[in-house]
Amino acid sequence: MELKKLQEHWDSFPEVSMEERPILSSDLEKIVVKNPLSDAFYLRRRLLARIIVFSVLWIVNAVQLRSQWISDGPDISELVALCGLLSYCLYFHIRLLFFADYPTLLSLPLISFLGKLETVLDKYILSFKFVSGLSGFYVLALIQYLLSGWNKGAHETLSHNDWYKWLILIFISVSVDILLLHSIIPKYRKLLAGVRKYKEGIQAKAQNK
Amino acid sequence: MNNSSKKGGFDVDIRSLLKIQHKKVYAICRLFADTYKEHQFLFTNIMAAASQNIRGRRENSDKQTLVLRACINMAALHSITMDMAPVVERSIQFKSPDYQRSMTRLRQSMGEASDYEKFRLFLELEKMPVEELTHLTGLPHSKNASGKKKEKEAELSKTSFNFIPYLKRQLVWN
Repeated sequence: MELKKLQEHWDSFPEVSMEERPILSSDLEKIVVKNPLSDAFYLRRRLLARIIVFSVLWIVNAVQLRSQWISDGPDISELVALCGLLSYCLYFHIRLLFFADYPTLLSLPLISFLGKLETVLDKYILSFKFVSGLSGFYVLALIQYLLSGWNKGAHETLSHNDWYKWLILIFISVSVDILLLHSIIPKYRKLLAGVRKYKEGIQAKAQNK
Repeated sequence: MNNSSKKGGFDVDIRSLLKIQHKKVYAICRLFADTYKEHQFLFTNIMAAASQNIRGRRENSDKQTLVLRACINMAALHSITMDMAPVVERSIQFKSPDYQRSMTRLRQSMGEASDYEKFRLFLELEKMPVEELTHLTGLPHSKNASGKKKEKEAELSKTSFNFIPYLKRQLVWN
């Protein structure tokens, strides 16, 4: 009975007033070319930017590694580790971009859509660990470069002592990781928790019905 | 003659389909938006999502289903975003007094309906079979939900390899 009343009310629902209505005819083209996902959910551009940056860094690293290999330089182990990390980062980000498949994401059934969104956000949060690791390598290189100008002795000591280098690298990586954990990551964590809560809520409701 | 000609990069087929389906989009907006600004925002996002779905569709998918999926997915995202926004008192705010009255009445009759109930209501009020909900959301149909779940579990136990669950979760992003 209640549903019947609601149906009557629904059928006699007034049209949205012209003032409040989104313009359909002339603006339709503009409406449909815009990206429907909000910035927080749409990570495509960020992933692409990272892939481009990592590719450039990978090429630079490969050139450096080659020259060090030929001249039997002191930084080979560091460059090999950096090459491995960059290669994995590239693989991880390209895989995530293909997995997200943004053009078809919204055509999935709700639960699969939310599940995919959850996985993408989860993996994107994980990707900040790689960013921390990489920043360790590059900040260490920056420190070495600055020391070579200011204090030749310190630079020589650091260049020939792998222990110091790796300790500084780990320290910087952990520090950057902590910084990211308290600055950028909470926003994505909150989003992930929101998606997860919604998905679990709707599944629970459907099972209780 | 094929009428799916492109005009300035825009498919005429999509335009006419969206024009036909726009009442359904208005209908779902009624259930999820409280103010006219939210209503406009959700409407444009659903239209964009529907068009994206149709343009990127696979051969076997039906256009009507893709539009409805866009409606449901965007409404869900709208709900998630609203839940995360700072808590403010939410009230119905429309400029037209007639629409405002109807919306207030609709909210009163719906009470504190959950989003799942709103989706069901949407299908019911738009005179679509409720079984369609499984197709649109991926949730089991309520009447035989537990039966299907058991069937699915039995099927999974037959077919899946005995992976370590943690390892499987890490390797396969589902």
